[in-house]
Amino acid sequence: MIVKVTDLGILVVAERSDGKVRRVSAEIAAKAESFGDVEVVEVTGTDRYHPVAHADAVAKWAKNNSSDLVLIGATLNGRDLAARVAARLGWAYAADCTDVSLGSLKDGAFEVKRPMYAGKVRATLRVHTPAVLSIRPGAWTLPAGTGDLKPTKTLAADASAGGTLKFARFEPTATSGKRVSLSEARVIVSGGRGLKGPENWKLLEELADALGAATGASRAVTDAGWRPNEEQVGQTGKTVTPDLYIALGISGAIQHLAGMTSSKVIVAVNKDPDADIFKIADYGVVGDLFEFLPAFTEAVKKRKAGA
Amino acid sequence: MKFLVCLKQVPDSTVRVKVAADGKSIATDGITWSISPYDEYAIELALEHKDADPATIVSVVTVGPARSRDALRQALAMGCDDATLVTADDTVAGLDVAKALAAVVKEAKPDVVLCGKQASDDDQGLVGPALAQELGWPHVGMLTKIAAGGDGIELWREIEGGHEVWTAPLPVVGLVHKSAKEPRYPSLPGIMKAKKKEIPEKDLAALGVTPGAPRAQVVAMEPPPQRGGGKILKADGDVKALAVELARLLHEEAKVL
Repeated sequence: MIVKVTDLGILVVAERSDGKVRRVSAEIAAKAESFGDVEVVEVTGTDRYHPVAHADAVAKWAKNNSSDLVLIGATLNGRDLAARVAARLGWAYAADCTDVSLGSLKDGAFEVKRPMYAGKVRATLRVHTPAVLSIRPGAWTLPAGTGDLKPTKTLAADASAGGTLKFARFEPTATSGKRVSLSEARVIVSGGRGLKGPENWKLLEELADALGAATGASRAVTDAGWRPNEEQVGQTGKTVTPDLYIALGISGAIQHLAGMTSSKVIVAVNKDPDADIFKIADYGVVGDLFEFLPAFTEAVKKRKAGA
Repeated sequence: MKFLVCLKQVPDSTVRVKVAADGKSIATDGITWSISPYDEYAIELALEHKDADPATIVSVVTVGPARSRDALRQALAMGCDDATLVTADDTVAGLDVAKALAAVVKEAKPDVVLCGKQASDDDQGLVGPALAQELGWPHVGMLTKIAAGGDGIELWREIEGGHEVWTAPLPVVGLVHKSAKEPRYPSLPGIMKAKKKEIPEKDLAALGVTPGAPRAQVVAMEPPPQRGGGKILKADGDVKALAVELARLLHEEAKVL
């Protein structure tokens, strides 16, 4: 039985990707059940996320239904939407929250936890209702056996509310495949300069495929143009919190560590035993990447096959 | 075209951030301050347009304490034309910062307002969208490129797998994720020129903004849990055995495989 800690009205905005409701939306909806009265909505009416039209639809709904709390997954679109909705309503706002404690509700304020300074600090904020929060993917574990999330309502965005801003076309990145999205991936395989060149990425990709993992990269690698920007992990890139993060040939600059140090388990492979990445790794392999990687991919495949 | 870039001065990204004695802010003694990295990209993106068309004007503005003047000076040295400092306490809420910036925008009348997608101190990413909302302008986030096109300009937004290209007539707000090139270093002539420039100063009251009580406030800060004490495995010739051992550990001990 789910015990609600408050009688607050909670609006969860679900997001869809490739036709499926995102995992983070399901994580939020499941957790929010214990918070108060939850309505899960999905914005429709436009072909894709529109920064103005979607904010218009969500803000109107939250206002008309006297919501106390709007929860949105801290994805790329979700963060954008949450900020504009908060501004439009003039409500309290906290981005990328890793926890929300409505049990602490007192005088209309409650506590949230969120990273600051690119993950170098964890902050507790006192937030007044009504508020808009974006929630970091993976912050709340989806209970086992949770089925696909079905939004209870759809909000038709009014395309004219989007005004003069119009979507023209999509330009795909040449190297982009059909891999899992980095910010929501449970397993990430990341490469650094130690891989020596873009031509060696197939070794990393073979391991990623064996693990069903997303691929990431250090800033040195994306700056050098070996990999697209969207794969960059760390400050000025993505902050990730997977169950397993495998750093290959990454020395561990403070900016990179800030983006992945909250991963549950970190594996580092590097030939330099003094590399900073080993200071935060749960398992460190000191050795030649090009020898170890194919052997490890083979070992993972065997494990996955149940051998 | 006229650009206005909104920037924030933050602890440099190489600073090892420590929590201060009050337990709810960071220790700022002796730290290096810099322009927030995404704001640097925004400046670079605007300056790349100025490189192509010298008639382009690039202005910068910040809302922050007096030390922020150094960040503006740095932007001028990179090649920006003029700078405005709006003095305000570090603790002013994001929505009030957006209101102050909106007042500056209404006066300066730029075609394009650029902000970094988030400041690397609070990482909220609120001020850009809030400024657009305050102005009643559209905004496009994750911006990596601006080009001529459509009825006004094309705004390239980086998402998973590629770029969405949006079009809008001017004016617009763009929240910058990356520039084509790495932000430039100030040149020596640039630094000399920047030294001579006046940086006018305004306060919130002059812009008609009365800061309200913040609706979300930091009450505690702590360093992330320390990691360490991991297992170091060395390849003593038998790489295969080591690979099998790591896979076993990840499966049986860490339970992530």
